[in-house]
Amino acid sequence: MNRLWQRVLAMTPSQVWSDIVRFWRRSLQFRTVLISMGLTTLAIIVVGIYMSVSISNDLFSSRLTQVLNESQRAQAAAQRVLDTSEATDRIGAQSVMNAARTAIRDATSSPYIAVFRVPGQDASVLAPQDFSSPELTGDVISTTLRGDVEGDSAGQYWQSVALNTTIGRVPGVVVGSQLSLPGGGNYELYIGYDFSQAESTLAFVQSVLWFAGAVLLVLSGMVAFFVARLLVRPIQVAADTSEKLSQGDLDVRIPESGEDVMSTLSRSFNSMASSMQRQLTELAELSTIQQRFVADVSHELRTPLTTIRLASDHLYRHREELTRDNRRSAELLQAQLDRFESLLADLLEISRYDARTIELETEPTNVASLTSDVVGLMMSLATENKCEITITSPGGHFDIDVDPRRIRRILINLIGNAIEHGAGSPIDVKIDSSPTAVAVSIRDHGHGMSPDQVLQVFGRFWRADSARKRTIGGTGLGLAISLEDARVHGGRIDVWAQVDIGANFVLTLPRDRETEIGELPIEPSEGFIS
Amino acid sequence: MTHRILVVDDEDIILEMVAIALTDRGYSPVVCNSGTDALAVFRETKPDLVLLDIQLPGKDGIEICRDIRAESGTPIIMLTANGETESLVLALEAGADDYIVKPYKAEELTARIRARLRTPSEPTSTVLGIGDLTIDVAGHEVRRNGELLSLTPLEFDLLVALASQPSLVFTREMLLEQVWGYQYKADTRLVNVHVQRLRGKIEEDPDNPRVVMTVRGVGYRAGSVV
Repeated sequence: MNRLWQRVLAMTPSQVWSDIVRFWRRSLQFRTVLISMGLTTLAIIVVGIYMSVSISNDLFSSRLTQVLNESQRAQAAAQRVLDTSEATDRIGAQSVMNAARTAIRDATSSPYIAVFRVPGQDASVLAPQDFSSPELTGDVISTTLRGDVEGDSAGQYWQSVALNTTIGRVPGVVVGSQLSLPGGGNYELYIGYDFSQAESTLAFVQSVLWFAGAVLLVLSGMVAFFVARLLVRPIQVAADTSEKLSQGDLDVRIPESGEDVMSTLSRSFNSMASSMQRQLTELAELSTIQQRFVADVSHELRTPLTTIRLASDHLYRHREELTRDNRRSAELLQAQLDRFESLLADLLEISRYDARTIELETEPTNVASLTSDVVGLMMSLATENKCEITITSPGGHFDIDVDPRRIRRILINLIGNAIEHGAGSPIDVKIDSSPTAVAVSIRDHGHGMSPDQVLQVFGRFWRADSARKRTIGGTGLGLAISLEDARVHGGRIDVWAQVDIGANFVLTLPRDRETEIGELPIEPSEGFIS
Repeated sequence: MTHRILVVDDEDIILEMVAIALTDRGYSPVVCNSGTDALAVFRETKPDLVLLDIQLPGKDGIEICRDIRAESGTPIIMLTANGETESLVLALEAGADDYIVKPYKAEELTARIRARLRTPSEPTSTVLGIGDLTIDVAGHEVRRNGELLSLTPLEFDLLVALASQPSLVFTREMLLEQVWGYQYKADTRLVNVHVQRLRGKIEEDPDNPRVVMTVRGVGYRAGSVV
């Protein structure tokens, strides 16, 4: 635990952030908790603001009503005192005013009182002096309020202010109205009321609100955590199970219990897994049957075929001793036997691919030098067909792990096809590589192919032109086998062709059989003018 | 002198046909259609070369090969069907020199036989050194500190090929051409298996070879003379 905290504390903020981001992406539960806490926070803020605003409005307006009433009563009591005044000199008037102040004090709870003579009246010898509690001095009473009060002898006006009390400035309200002193003129009366009580009540209510909100937030996070756990657990089990299933463990199942949606999921998942397992087992059995069949066929055929082969060789070797027709028969037998054997070999090879019993015998192989070896091997055939092979290799001079026999077979096949269908045109062989792959392209300038033909070119026993006489007897399985040979290495063969312009076959092999080819080192359409 | 060739196969038809083809090319074939009798026939007739089918009822070609190797270095060529990769490797490890895949042409068969029966061209010096061994080429003898080591003709050819050009690194393809007589790229496993067998006989520690050295990614070369 200490270690964990040390680790957490040692992390920089950006590490913490990236950890959170990773956790967010990886944990459904964490995401659920975070989202629900976010939404709860939003709800608490909205409700809290609403409550706190309405409570504060209510607190203020009820206090205001109270102080306005008080102030009105105080004004009325003072006016009554003033109305009885019979003062004829200044001292008398002053004492009447003092009596009025006492009446105000009795009528109201507030000690903050100010009385000013309304300016602009005729000077009077009787007029008592202005008076103000220290809390109301300075600019506490604004000129606007004073203007309102001075202009209306009967009205009551108020204003929110900050009172200068001994404990500092406190929030409050000043209520103003006019008094009239017979013989002394009109006076403005201001009474200040302390609202700090209401404010502290509000502050208390607000703090209770926010605390409750925080508790609610934590609770909602916990609720979300447990609910998410409840829901995520079965999903996690399903995910783990399907992961195991995809890794080939066909016997795993999800435990089924209850009748809710989760158990429906488990049941349908399990029945899917069972049906998959059944089909895979069937396929495996079929593959075994086909495998055995291929083995049996090749075993059963090899004795008669070896005998026929040796017998035919013998007859052919001694053909000069035979009569004309017998000699011709021996020659035909020998030629067709060659064709029959390569056809059988190809059929067996493609059956092995179909039965997936191919085993690669890989060794580090330099594709560039392998290609130039094959070109050298094909040179005599090319010369016979009067076509020239040029080879360029800007890349591909490194070893990759492939089965060289199969790659050689692909190249022999592709170059052989180019010679056969190239109609004596030059053939360009190019080897190039990318960081992830190596490619060999074989380009002829012969008859080419239509788009339809390109689509069928890898089909079994398909021939480019059934009417055209074959010069190099092939089996019709060559390209199909080549494609399988490429695929078993994780590679591909792409074709691009145009009628009477030529064809380009590109073999692409990944540098590492387990990785993707990525971008093709040689585009099949390279060198064509469209 | 006509070479005597023992042919072992369970199919009488093939035996008959192979015998015709071999006779036609000037060899003197001896046939045997039973795996259990093969060793007895071998001891009796002392052939110059053995053609041996891998799949035989009773006693298979691999066992026969092992038995023959226990007492003789006579060249053995296995007759195999395509797809018998595992048993083929076992046969090579048991000491078979070469193999040919059924169905084969008579020409291929005789080419393989000729390659195994030919006497290698005489090297310039008749005594060669490789590692701590001395090779008496003319006498077909290999010695370590005067002690005679017994090698099959193929193993001897392989060692002589390496020793006669000690500065050269031989690729497997070069050895296939020079020792086995293949004109085209053949199965490099032949080289790997026989180098292992050779090391088993001549190296003091086969896991840490000093006579036939591996050059990683290229091939083999002779260890320097001690």
